[in-house]
Amino acid sequence: MLELKNVTKTFNLTGNKEDLRVALDHVNLQIESGEFVTIIGSNGSGKSTTMNILTGVLKPDSGQVLLNNVDITKMDEHQRAAYFGHVFQDPMMGTCGEMSVIENLEIAYRRGRKHSPFLWGFRKSHKKEFIRELKRFDLGLEDRLNQKVGVMSGGQRQALTLLMATMRNKPTHKTVKKDYITFCEKDHEVARKEFESVYKPALAEYKANKSSIRKDKSLSFKEKREALAKAYDEFDKKIRQFDLTKQILLLDEHTAALDPKTAKKVLELTDKIVKENQMTTLMITHNMKDALTYGNRLIMFHTGHIIFDVRGEEKAKLTVEDLLKKFDEADQKAIEM
Amino acid sequence: MDITELIRLTLSMGLPCCLLALGVFLTFRILDFADMTAEGSLLIGGAACALMITKNVPPLIATFVGMLAGGVCGFITGFLNRVLKIPKLLSGIITMTASGSIALLLFGLANGRIFASEINGIDNSKTIFGFLDPKIFHGWQQVMVVAVIVAIVLAVAYFFFGTEYGMAIRATGINEKMAKSQGINTTVTTIICVSISNALIGLAGALIAQIDSGMNAQGATGYLVVGLASILIGETLFGKRSFKNALISISLGSILYFAIIMLATQVFKMPTDLTKLLYAFLIALALCLPMIKQAILKLWARISPPIKRFFKKLFVRKKKKEAE
Repeated sequence: MLELKNVTKTFNLTGNKEDLRVALDHVNLQIESGEFVTIIGSNGSGKSTTMNILTGVLKPDSGQVLLNNVDITKMDEHQRAAYFGHVFQDPMMGTCGEMSVIENLEIAYRRGRKHSPFLWGFRKSHKKEFIRELKRFDLGLEDRLNQKVGVMSGGQRQALTLLMATMRNKPTHKTVKKDYITFCEKDHEVARKEFESVYKPALAEYKANKSSIRKDKSLSFKEKREALAKAYDEFDKKIRQFDLTKQILLLDEHTAALDPKTAKKVLELTDKIVKENQMTTLMITHNMKDALTYGNRLIMFHTGHIIFDVRGEEKAKLTVEDLLKKFDEADQKAIEM
Repeated sequence: MDITELIRLTLSMGLPCCLLALGVFLTFRILDFADMTAEGSLLIGGAACALMITKNVPPLIATFVGMLAGGVCGFITGFLNRVLKIPKLLSGIITMTASGSIALLLFGLANGRIFASEINGIDNSKTIFGFLDPKIFHGWQQVMVVAVIVAIVLAVAYFFFGTEYGMAIRATGINEKMAKSQGINTTVTTIICVSISNALIGLAGALIAQIDSGMNAQGATGYLVVGLASILIGETLFGKRSFKNALISISLGSILYFAIIMLATQVFKMPTDLTKLLYAFLIALALCLPMIKQAILKLWARISPPIKRFFKKLFVRKKKKEAE
């Protein structure tokens, strides 16, 4: 669960008191895990600022950012990167133009992990996974792994950024344990005991299984390998139930710079990925139609406040006209005040 | 002048400058950080090494200390830029200015006089080349040792920038916003890369000090430009398709640069007061080389079809004759 508590952010670029601009004014927002939220609002209403405060690009003046009830306000952007995938409006922003597709993917694969100065950056096993992932995109990128990203079109780069924002190697069991202990709502000691009460028997069972499979002479080499993989998957599944850090995907007008056809393709791709992985997603868009078509919750920002928040069926009934009416109402209110 | 002697002189000047150019390349190209520390760290590296050697420290340790001293200069620049948020160019200039004084202090100590800028001669047997007898190798011992060091540094650099961390550093230089959103601590990567770069420049300084048997306060002036010119010459002539290609290009570029200078000063006996003009000309040439290269390619594209046609005709006629 992601939560903004009483967040205020003001910009003062010139240092002049009259130029103070309030981007967010005591905003409260709760996003349950698994929600796909579309965010609309006029320019300067605080949509992008919200997103930047979530990822840690900007620090709020006051208020808190909570992830699974843990205060992450003081965490730096690179520390939070493990939990957030960010796609920017500018297609050039999310990828390294002078690096090849595979290098970009390798970097994204290690998001939120330590980078070792002694291990070679490319792995054969990773490459297979990248090809498999890229094939789903149907952009022909899987044959161009060694090509520089700079020569690709905006749509391809944005699709690649989307993949980089959603793909991340599975956290190791150690990371799962650490995240569970810090982010679960229970006391740390209780959480540790709970984790270990599952982890230790599971590990022992897996080890016993492994040795029995190895000793079994009736199995061929291939069957043995399959059985071993299956045993590991079972063990892995037991640990994964503690994996709290479901990825959160932040899309900041990510189709605004693309032509209509490519934009549609990227949006459909986004929807597919989000549904497959059940990701918590926040999508800023200026296209009302997209805001209504995708997602199961809609939020409207206006001059640093959330003025409209609908979910589920209520959202499904909304039309573009309704939204425009809301905008007009908000404008009028602002004038009256 | 003897041609082998010319080659030896070129290599003994050019090879240490490969390290210098590589150091400048790491900040200038990979990190996109216009680092002005280079001359400062070269001076400090050379000075520290010279001081150690005059105090009878083993040359290997002295060279290593020179390298470390350069690295510290880089660390300070990185710290000024990243933690104290001073602009890149200025933080380099600050370190360079400070290092001038510190180097003077070091030289002064070595001479027994404080704040003297006089140089301190180093006995060849005390240097890192001392284990090879100069009577047998006739000066080639310097080239051999430095070549080995350059080869090792190039190999390590190639490996390091292919590792996970090296990739993170490269990403920082190309697109910092993306690097941050991918969980790379750009503060640390920048400081580390600037430190490594200046450590290499410090190593170059230490080697130059040992080859020239000493270093003076003005000994490092103009070397930043040498590094930049080497990079530009190398990249335009030998390409920069990949990281490996760029590494080799730069090394060849710096050797080529000194080859031209040696040719002018030693063979054509250019008067010494004109050398500065030659440097300036070479740098201007290096900067406009990409344009010249394109112009030549364009010209070639225009001339080549008739020439090719001509040869084709010749070839076809020959074939016809043979057939007959």
